[in-house]
Amino acid sequence: MTATALSAEGITRRGRRGETVLRVLRRPTAALAAIVVFLILAGAIAAPLIAPYPPSQFDYTHLFASPSWAHPFGTDELGRDLVTRVLYGGRTSLEMAALATLIAMVFGSIWGFAAAFKKGWIGEVLMRIADLTLGMPVILLGLVLVAAFGSSIFSLVVILGILFSPATARLARSALLSELESDYYLAATSVGASPWRIVFEQLLPNTMPVLLARGSIVAADAIFIEASLSFLGLGVQPPKASWGTLLHVGYADLYSSYWYPLFPGLIIVIAVLALNTLGDNLQRALDPSRR
Amino acid sequence: MAIYVLRRVVTSIGLLFLSSVLIFVVLRLIPGDPTITKLGGGMTAVDPRAFQALRHQLGLDRSLTHQYVHWIGGVLRGDFGQSYFSQFPVTTLIKERAGSTLELAAAALFIGLLLSVPAATIGAIWRNRYFDAVLSGFTAVGMSTPAFVNGLVLIVIFGVKLKLLPTQGYVSFQNHPLESLKTVILPAVTLAIAIAAPIMLILRSSLADVASAPYIRTAQGKGLLRYQVVLRHVLPNATIPALTMIGVIIGSLLGGSVIVEYVFARPGLGSLMVDAIYQRDYAVLQTLVLLAAGVFIISSLLIDLLYGVLDPRLRVRGQEA
Repeated sequence: MTATALSAEGITRRGRRGETVLRVLRRPTAALAAIVVFLILAGAIAAPLIAPYPPSQFDYTHLFASPSWAHPFGTDELGRDLVTRVLYGGRTSLEMAALATLIAMVFGSIWGFAAAFKKGWIGEVLMRIADLTLGMPVILLGLVLVAAFGSSIFSLVVILGILFSPATARLARSALLSELESDYYLAATSVGASPWRIVFEQLLPNTMPVLLARGSIVAADAIFIEASLSFLGLGVQPPKASWGTLLHVGYADLYSSYWYPLFPGLIIVIAVLALNTLGDNLQRALDPSRR
Repeated sequence: MAIYVLRRVVTSIGLLFLSSVLIFVVLRLIPGDPTITKLGGGMTAVDPRAFQALRHQLGLDRSLTHQYVHWIGGVLRGDFGQSYFSQFPVTTLIKERAGSTLELAAAALFIGLLLSVPAATIGAIWRNRYFDAVLSGFTAVGMSTPAFVNGLVLIVIFGVKLKLLPTQGYVSFQNHPLESLKTVILPAVTLAIAIAAPIMLILRSSLADVASAPYIRTAQGKGLLRYQVVLRHVLPNATIPALTMIGVIIGSLLGGSVIVEYVFARPGLGSLMVDAIYQRDYAVLQTLVLLAAGVFIISSLLIDLLYGVLDPRLRVRGQEA
């Protein structure tokens, strides 16, 4: 009897949260943000299909061309079409942000869950470490880590993942703590369900929506910080190019062809704003205390 | 109270020590050797004797513990060692650049507060749906726009198109006050936008919190006008929780100045840091990062203590704990 009650409880909770997500998307700002995120993702994924020019087609007769019908964003220092480069740059930026977010979510959740389960000095130490790094400006920590581990794509992704783990850990801890106080957890432990079963069948699904909302914001931050590092010339190195790298290279010729860095910059703002808005709306809908 | 203060001071010193160890260890993970860059490594074969001599001169052939104790001992005496790259004392390098960054930070803080505090206050008095939406929109866009994008837009409008303001460099205030202020306007506005958004976010939510408190209803009940209620009762009380933001603001100023100084080619501590990373000059880098951590930890300590003075409830809690 308890077992069925247990799963029924789990289902209703999940069901209600699924509806909440749908309800959020009915709000105009959230829906617009979701559409923008989708378009940017689709543009990056379909870059080889929709890009107007091949990514490395040089045109030495049109260096630094200003925006025109043939090249809406203009061309770069080698005459490459900038719409194409922005689309392909989006692949790099979004790929890195997605991987970094995944690392931050997985690592941060394990970190936070461990702190919630081990309430004694272990949990205390784990959270103190999180607080310590949360206080510092992310860009400075990022610069130090880049100085130490270099700026290959691999190390950048890991660095970004580490940078955003503490905030996720804190959220995962508080999300799990509130689940641990709920009746269904008590029911599950009292019927003798193994801790792992409870984690995977109950706790993880119930904390997942909150963590996913957080993931949207982490992705926005990851794009932001990666672009900042790349802009300083300490992130993605040419010939590979993220949006930030395009800005870094284009910035050198800002005074003669300002549209070159400006368009990648605007795309970064749009992507970050959309992901932040989406995550913020989801968080507000899922977290009753912020409603 | 004394115990509370003492405990906070001791924790802060512990944090500073921990940060210094962490910074030192992380920066020693750098693959390769800083002296190779200095000796033009990568391009030509490095003379092994010159290599050894330079390592010895910089103390890099000693053990890590020895290097750390040497560094921290120096820091405590106000001697930050010498740059691996230019051989100048780090103290000299920092002194040269600090004025520029301080001017930028002060101007940005001033403009940032000028943008955010009146706007949030007007929003609380006026309570207009559309004005609120504009403020929320500004906050959201401000939080999502990297300083280099704001900076580029400002350079294009005021430097390239209108040719009104200088967009590069730094002029010392002591020598040419007017030129100095003109040069700092664009960088300061860029940095101000970056800090105004978070200030506005916190201030608006704490204004809303305080506005729903019972004593505000009392103030309204005795017939005060809304602007009187907001200016006399809501704002002063909402400022106290907003004080915690000072830590975040100082952090944003430190982090933001790195980007802004790069955008506007301003020689300051931020650009010194970027150069140090390029040159793998970790003598300079570790000092700058420790300085940033120090500013951060000490300012949050001071705010905590100030909090105790401003909010008597915390003092009592401090004694109990």
